[in-house]
Amino acid sequence: MAPLRPSSRTRRPGDASGSRMWTWLMLPGTLWMTGFLIASLVLVAILAVGTTDELGNPRFGFDLSGVRALADPAYTEVMARSLGYALLTCLICLLVAYPVAYTVALHGGRYKHALIAAIVVPFFANYLVRMYGWSVVLSDDGPVLRALRAVGLADGNTRILNTGVGVVAGLVYGFVVFMIIPLYAALERLDVSLIEAGRDLYGGPVRTFLFVTLPATRQGAAAGLVLVFLPAMGDFVSAQLMGGPDQIMIGNLIQDKFFQGQNWPLGSALTMLLMLVLLIGMFGYLRRTRKDEAEAAR
Amino acid sequence: MTLLRLPTATAPARPAPRARARRGRADRRPRLLVAVTAVFFVLLYLPIGVVTLFSFNSKKSLTVFGGFSLRWYRAFVHDDVLLASLGTSLRISLVAMAGSVVLGVALALGLVRCRTRLGSLAGLVMLVPLITPEIVTGVASMLLFKGLGVALSTGTVMLAEITFSISYVTVILRSRVAALHPEVEEAAMDLGATRWQALRLVTLPALLPAVLASAVLIFALVFDDFVLAYFTTGVDPQPLSVRIYSAIRFGVQPTINAVGTLMLAGSVALIALALFIPRLFGRRGGLDILSGE
Repeated sequence: MAPLRPSSRTRRPGDASGSRMWTWLMLPGTLWMTGFLIASLVLVAILAVGTTDELGNPRFGFDLSGVRALADPAYTEVMARSLGYALLTCLICLLVAYPVAYTVALHGGRYKHALIAAIVVPFFANYLVRMYGWSVVLSDDGPVLRALRAVGLADGNTRILNTGVGVVAGLVYGFVVFMIIPLYAALERLDVSLIEAGRDLYGGPVRTFLFVTLPATRQGAAAGLVLVFLPAMGDFVSAQLMGGPDQIMIGNLIQDKFFQGQNWPLGSALTMLLMLVLLIGMFGYLRRTRKDEAEAAR
Repeated sequence: MTLLRLPTATAPARPAPRARARRGRADRRPRLLVAVTAVFFVLLYLPIGVVTLFSFNSKKSLTVFGGFSLRWYRAFVHDDVLLASLGTSLRISLVAMAGSVVLGVALALGLVRCRTRLGSLAGLVMLVPLITPEIVTGVASMLLFKGLGVALSTGTVMLAEITFSISYVTVILRSRVAALHPEVEEAAMDLGATRWQALRLVTLPALLPAVLASAVLIFALVFDDFVLAYFTTGVDPQPLSVRIYSAIRFGVQPTINAVGTLMLAGSVALIALALFIPRLFGRRGGLDILSGE
């Protein structure tokens, strides 16, 4: 970052006191985060094997009923559906975001920054309002179904809302920006002369894309997949607004256990299960990028 | 990568007309990609447009536009419950903004300059909210407050929002701090300043644009946040987004279109402000503030 700084900087006598000052600066934020965040996550793990009293207050003990309940087919089915929807969302986001990021980064010209801002800004608008607007757009007599009917791609019985398609559409709309930003960053960094070289070596557009552009941007795609997978897996608004009662995801289950069911140990166990799935995903991503970096360094 | 780079060095020098013709074709704007992007933009803005349009509807319908009217905005201004929620949201955002900026800026400074084991540990702790889905952090915060015997209220929402905003401030500020040359501080100290004076009089003013931009961004994010607020709020006037959530769950309410439109406009204005602040100080404008790069 600071190339001017020589690596073997002469240590000044004041440095020891300086490093103490930096530690003092770092301390309040770190203590705050540890106290409120790390402690609360540990509490979820503890309560997953605990119980609650009649008032719903957490009581600590060792009771595996919450964890054991996870094996119930009713829950494994929801878990499988969540995983399926989240993975499908990742795939669709990749297919949608790649051409958009590519067009803006490589053909956006002087409108490049304006276009990417136009994509990012609505994403900062209220998530609920956007989702709600999207559910209106996808409703039975909303503009999307009307347009599809007009061109003969749908008939009077075609529904989007209250189906799995609706839930995935909601997730894609909610999180596609997380895919566009890293892809855009990767494509913007891409050396365009690489593409030209591919063409000069008589690779068609498709071959050039597959063997030059795509490999050069795969880290952006990997980062985007993780960034979409994380929130998609934990979302409960999309399934609630766009899906019926038979489309619920793990987020809806967790919400239900804490608010309607008052089964906090089970809710905590479900939360830990969700975290576990996401950590496995993160771990896979980190291993992949490490391997990529090791290869690039060679 | 390295192997592929080799031919490019010679490519421009090659005069073969065929190659140039090919490149000419390659440079042509790809119509299919532009079409996909256009459809994407239509779908991106359609929901926002629909909410905005129907907030001005004279009818209580979400599909038929009966003419321009401000009746839903009037309904909102006279809705005491929604107004109380608006006040709650504003208070939460202000407190969370102040708390997280103070803690986050100090943390960012410490993280960049302090290369000890404690520093790398703090760096890890700071990353946790960014890789944890909101529902998990929401559940966890709620359990912490319940476990401590604290009744859920506006105050607990504030505490939870501060916790999760610190990371954003730190991520945004960290790269800015790293871009500063420590030599400037050292020069100040050579001129007789103490470390604290160098920090206060040299480093912090240099960081001011990024600090202000991150503060505005945090305000917007916390004001719009739903999941965390939903899990940590009590019965006193609930934050606006929690109120909107219960309203849209129980069917169509055109007042929500008006509230939603106002919130959309507010967020867009704040984001524009956050992007514009670095320019006020004569710096390159900052989409990087949004992407954290």
